[in-house]
Amino acid sequence: MMTYIVFILSVIFVIGFVGFSSKPSPIYGGLVLIVSGGVGCGIIMNFGGSFLGLMVFLIYLGGMLVVFGYTTAMATEQYPEVWVSNATVMGVFLLGLLMEVMLVLYVLKSEEVGVVFKFSSVGDWAIYDIGNSGVFSEEIMGVAALYRYGAWVVVVTGWSLLVGVLVILEVTRGD
Amino acid sequence: MNPLILTIILMTVFLGTMIVMASSHWLMIWIGFEMNLLAIIPILMKKYNPRAMEASTKYFLTQATASMLLMMAIIINLMHSGQWTITKVFNPTASIIMTLALAMKLGLTPFHFWVPEVTQGISLTSGLILLTWQKLAPMSILYQISPSINLNILLTMAVLSILVGGWGGLNQTQLRKIMAYSSIAHMGWMAAILVYNPTLTMLNMLIYIMMTLTMFMLFIHSSSTTTLSLSHTWNKAPLITTLILITLLSMGGLPPLSGFMPKWMIIQELTKNSSIILPTLMAIMALLNLYFYMRLTYSTSLTMFPSTNNMKMKWQFETKQITLLPPLIIASSLLLPLTPMLSILD
Repeated sequence: MMTYIVFILSVIFVIGFVGFSSKPSPIYGGLVLIVSGGVGCGIIMNFGGSFLGLMVFLIYLGGMLVVFGYTTAMATEQYPEVWVSNATVMGVFLLGLLMEVMLVLYVLKSEEVGVVFKFSSVGDWAIYDIGNSGVFSEEIMGVAALYRYGAWVVVVTGWSLLVGVLVILEVTRGD
Repeated sequence: MNPLILTIILMTVFLGTMIVMASSHWLMIWIGFEMNLLAIIPILMKKYNPRAMEASTKYFLTQATASMLLMMAIIINLMHSGQWTITKVFNPTASIIMTLALAMKLGLTPFHFWVPEVTQGISLTSGLILLTWQKLAPMSILYQISPSINLNILLTMAVLSILVGGWGGLNQTQLRKIMAYSSIAHMGWMAAILVYNPTLTMLNMLIYIMMTLTMFMLFIHSSSTTTLSLSHTWNKAPLITTLILITLLSMGGLPPLSGFMPKWMIIQELTKNSSIILPTLMAIMALLNLYFYMRLTYSTSLTMFPSTNNMKMKWQFETKQITLLPPLIIASSLLLPLTPMLSILD
């Protein structure tokens, strides 16, 4: 099972995405997003990116999703929609699940899936080790490189985030 | 809007387009598109009525989808070529997806449905920025990947855009929708020549921007958004009426005016590449465009449109200042004799 762990995690990932794309109430969407985020973190860690996985948990789940949860809790309605509450949501959820199951069976049966890309075999999802020199972790060096060689990217993305906040405040201000 | 916030947001719109035009790394280009999209939403929502909010939402959804398609094409390109530079798109799948994504951003058929509805829902100044400045960034990327674009897809989209732009504008009386369909048709002309001679695309873009800028400035001056209110400009500012006539005929592509220059050059370039039927079809479909421009000039400057007696005298408000109108008028009507200068571009 360990060779297929990435495949299994990615299937859970996609099912999670189907769960919130079928648009229940945002509270339930956030719940599924927590699960998907954790599973995605597991996928990254299986490829050796332990630092990035930690970042996902800390910043994404522990920062952004917490803020999202609080704001949604302030704006929620009395009976939020669940997946089984109306036919539309349940229909979309079941359709997504069905498509995912069919894709999984197709991947497991034939050795390759060539829809847009070519997934060569299920073995491709197996774990590869990162080329660790063993002396220092390469992810921390990546973060250092981000602030040195990628300083312009940091400036641009920081500016985009600031303008994003200003835009959201401006849009929700009303009159 | 608070002037400081307005300055920051306009600066970010400008910065977003500049980042798209000046970057050589695909990720920065995508960031530039997103920054541009994010910052233009409050400009589209300047008035807080539900129409403007619906228009901004439609714009945001279509442009975000296009950005996602662009990102997918970038990643496919990365997978097959292993590098992020923008010089050539190596994989045909990535090239097709990228062309479709940029066509969605420009408003080419079959992705043109958002253009009239978004342009109609927002104020005239926001519509001006939407139809001129926002076309620069996607067109610059199309220019840069033009050697690797699939010709069939682009030419199909171009010809259909010219047809839809002409045909769709026929039944319109709202000026913003007319300008939107005119934009769709002009984008079609630009896309048609992109693979053969990208310089002419840039020439067409330049002249189109100047003509559209002029038209919107004239509409803003007379505060008119329908054909009926435009037909009352003879009362308040007869000179504006004449300028509307000249600029509309230039947009239709009639010879002594500068709007003829891009169409002439494009048809010449297409026939040099041994396609005769295509430019003939394009020229015939441009007649549909000319028809509704002529209808506007007929109701505005050539006749005194019928109206009730109390509407014949317009209330004399304080005259609005039009920015840069004289140079714009000259640029959008008198540039045709400068055509031999294009030979320096080789």
